[in-house]
Amino acid sequence: MVVYRRGSRRPIVILLVVTSIALITLDVREAGPITGAKGVARDIVSPVASAADRVFSPVGDWIGGVVRAGSLRGENERLKRDLEEVRGSDAQQQALESENRELRELLDLPFVADSDAINAQVVSGPPGNFEWTVRLDKGTSSGVTEGMAVVAGKGLVGEVVDATGDGATVRLMTDPEFGAGVVIAAMGADGQETRTSGFAVGRTGEDLVRLTNVDPAAQVAKDAYVWTSGANTSQFPGSIPVGRVTKVEKRAGAPEQDILVEPLVDLDSLEFVKVLPPPTIQAPP
Amino acid sequence: MTWTTRLRLVLLVVTTTVLQATLFPDLRFFDVAPDLGLVATIAVAYRVGPERGAVYGFANGLAIDLFLQTPFGLSALSFAVIGYGVGIVQGGMSREVRFAAPLFGGIGGLVGGSLFVAVAALAGEDQVLAMRTVYVVLLAGVYDAILAFAVFPAARWATRGAEAPVVRGVGSL
Repeated sequence: MVVYRRGSRRPIVILLVVTSIALITLDVREAGPITGAKGVARDIVSPVASAADRVFSPVGDWIGGVVRAGSLRGENERLKRDLEEVRGSDAQQQALESENRELRELLDLPFVADSDAINAQVVSGPPGNFEWTVRLDKGTSSGVTEGMAVVAGKGLVGEVVDATGDGATVRLMTDPEFGAGVVIAAMGADGQETRTSGFAVGRTGEDLVRLTNVDPAAQVAKDAYVWTSGANTSQFPGSIPVGRVTKVEKRAGAPEQDILVEPLVDLDSLEFVKVLPPPTIQAPP
Repeated sequence: MTWTTRLRLVLLVVTTTVLQATLFPDLRFFDVAPDLGLVATIAVAYRVGPERGAVYGFANGLAIDLFLQTPFGLSALSFAVIGYGVGIVQGGMSREVRFAAPLFGGIGGLVGGSLFVAVAALAGEDQVLAMRTVYVVLLAGVYDAILAFAVFPAARWATRGAEAPVVRGVGSL
């Protein structure tokens, strides 16, 4: 066994602690070259991350499959039922989309131009346990910039929080620091169907998103769909499906309703996503 | 400490950081990833003592911080303190303990994880203030203990020639 002399070099430890605190302060205040250094490091490791993802994803998927075998069977049955419903309503949706597009052009509202979207692959998840992010294989060299919305097949995934030359980090909508303006179908005080606005925020370690700033008088129904609002102050284009309301609770005396939303996209198994450019107003024809 | 040893320690920092940033996100169990950098710090500090352990922990923490969204320096601070603490505890031990790797890895992982959370909360990272954090720290501690079986031999290789044995409490050895 190896034993050591009691330290006469304790100042080294104090120096390290003080340096760490100084670095934390600089980063929190977004001062200094720290962001740039992070970007360079991520760019260097990005190709390794892609290779590791290709090699180890099957292993991770296999382990996940074994651990979640029971729930996967139930999920499979539910997805089959959903698929039948979707097939049935597909034609109807196409007609509605066409109508929606025409109305948007007339109203001069922002429209998600799908052709401008940047396709990207998810190469890795978060390296730490206290953040909900994924790393993409596309960065500024492909046109991805900070603040862009990220979607997958069914709806919203999150937002780009930093982009380097060859990669970008996406904050998932379940991250507590995520926030987006949304609209929800609701019943107004007069009993008429209306839309009410709110703000979707992530919750620590939870798969559900919380809605805040929703009109306390609005009657939000369970299973109601939630979309991004695309309001002027929002960085997201409008009408991106966010999720479905799973819980609505009004507590006596509480200033607002407790509304939880389940994301439409399975954020645990993302592979390919689309990065959307910021909303632009299309000129009316 | 020779240049060869320094080089091996740098290699250990780079390897653990790259693995943490690339491989371990895919190898989560119950949505929790082990902290390879922290385990490496504990293993190195166990071999080289408190001061060098703290320096190694600081360097490994900084490298990991480059890939995290939490404030830069957070892991460096907690790893440095843990490295120092492990060196002190190891130096105070009168005899070799059995299963030192999982014991130090597990307990060090728990303390290091808790320290990270405490400093993160002080730095305004509110997302760590949740019940899930207790679950994450506990489970990560278990994973760290298991991971220590592999990391301690690697640290022994990396620190070869860096130990500084001293005549203290020889009778009890």
